[in-house]
Amino acid sequence: MNDAQELLRQSARRLLESGGVSLVIGWESARGSERTRPAFIRSPEEAERLVWNRHCVNSTAKYLLNYRFAAEKTAVCARDCDTRAINRMIADKQLGREQIYIIGLPCPGMENAACLRCRHRNPLVYDELIGSPAEEQDPGGRFAGVEELEALPVQERRRFWQEQFSRCIRCYACRNVCPACSCRECYADQYRTGWQGKQMNAEENRIYGLTRAYHVGDRCIECGECERVCPMGIPVMLQTGKILRDINAIYGSCECGLSSEEIPVLGSYELGDLDEFN
Amino acid sequence: MPVTENESWRPKILAFCCNWCTYTGADLAGLSRMKYPADVRIIRVPCSSRVNPQFIIRAFQKGCDGVLVCGCHPGDCHYCSGNYYTRRRFMLMKRLLEYNGLDPRRFTARWISGSEAAKFRDTIIEATENIRALGPMERSPENE
Repeated sequence: MNDAQELLRQSARRLLESGGVSLVIGWESARGSERTRPAFIRSPEEAERLVWNRHCVNSTAKYLLNYRFAAEKTAVCARDCDTRAINRMIADKQLGREQIYIIGLPCPGMENAACLRCRHRNPLVYDELIGSPAEEQDPGGRFAGVEELEALPVQERRRFWQEQFSRCIRCYACRNVCPACSCRECYADQYRTGWQGKQMNAEENRIYGLTRAYHVGDRCIECGECERVCPMGIPVMLQTGKILRDINAIYGSCECGLSSEEIPVLGSYELGDLDEFN
Repeated sequence: MPVTENESWRPKILAFCCNWCTYTGADLAGLSRMKYPADVRIIRVPCSSRVNPQFIIRAFQKGCDGVLVCGCHPGDCHYCSGNYYTRRRFMLMKRLLEYNGLDPRRFTARWISGSEAAKFRDTIIEATENIRALGPMERSPENE
């Protein structure tokens, strides 16, 4: 990965000097050599800060929404999960493809729990590719956690979720990092006395997770960022995973973010849909 | 709280009825003097697809013991395609709610047309009996 890192820095320098790009989003070292944090490189000299190693866990794509109205393009270092996030944002009409320059990075997997479940290691869309294609893995068990929970009786499930969400502090890290959560005004920021808004108490927190999961619904790209950033260790992916599992079981194989033009399952219908509400 | 401790407990069931089919069917049930439990409260919506899944969550939090969502049969929606979306939406929402610990008998969705007064009556009777057997919905202190 060291060679790729050097090539990445060269690309960033080139783009900033003459490529019509005013910002490159990537990763830089933080707190010593192990951890990294997102980097915002604005000049060719700063490109030295960019790193590409097994500790680059943060997703870079969501930051693009902050630079939607920039005068020049924004470049982004994107692994597959980042390109799926970009597809998600383009499909949701939050971003234009022409506003960004994607530096594709095949990824061997990061020091991150979600990477163990990763099924796509090569970027789906890019303007240039750095590094050789990575070998795909098929770890299986995509919905293992969900199925385990489904097997429990109703009262146990209620107790499980009550206990999990009793720890929720409504920091909204899960929402902020999610590429599917891009509403200008989030329902959770509104003070809506009749509905779930920003009221914080045990009962509201109990339904916050499932409400946000349903809002994301069929658009989840399964990047795992929500679970990674939760400071309280709540298994957020078990909610969005449930919806995706049901979609896969009922409406056929569904994986989001593979293209920027997909039609979400809940935004469409078939005349012959499965119907159990007779 | 088991039902036997408080004999006067009556279930509260909320039914979202689409104006064009189900509500008309309910009206016909009334005109035909059909008898069904008075524990149901009907909210008339223009189309079953008006029902936001958050309404269901809120209903349970605010005191309902059971919720019904009823609309036109697929293919007969007054707005052509509304109930196709309803169908997909509640297939998923029902499963999500049950996954989060809601007893499956508390939430039902059904297609009832304007002439199916008997079906409306039977749906209400069935729902009321199920909820009566289940007992009141678990409450949280915040919602008392």
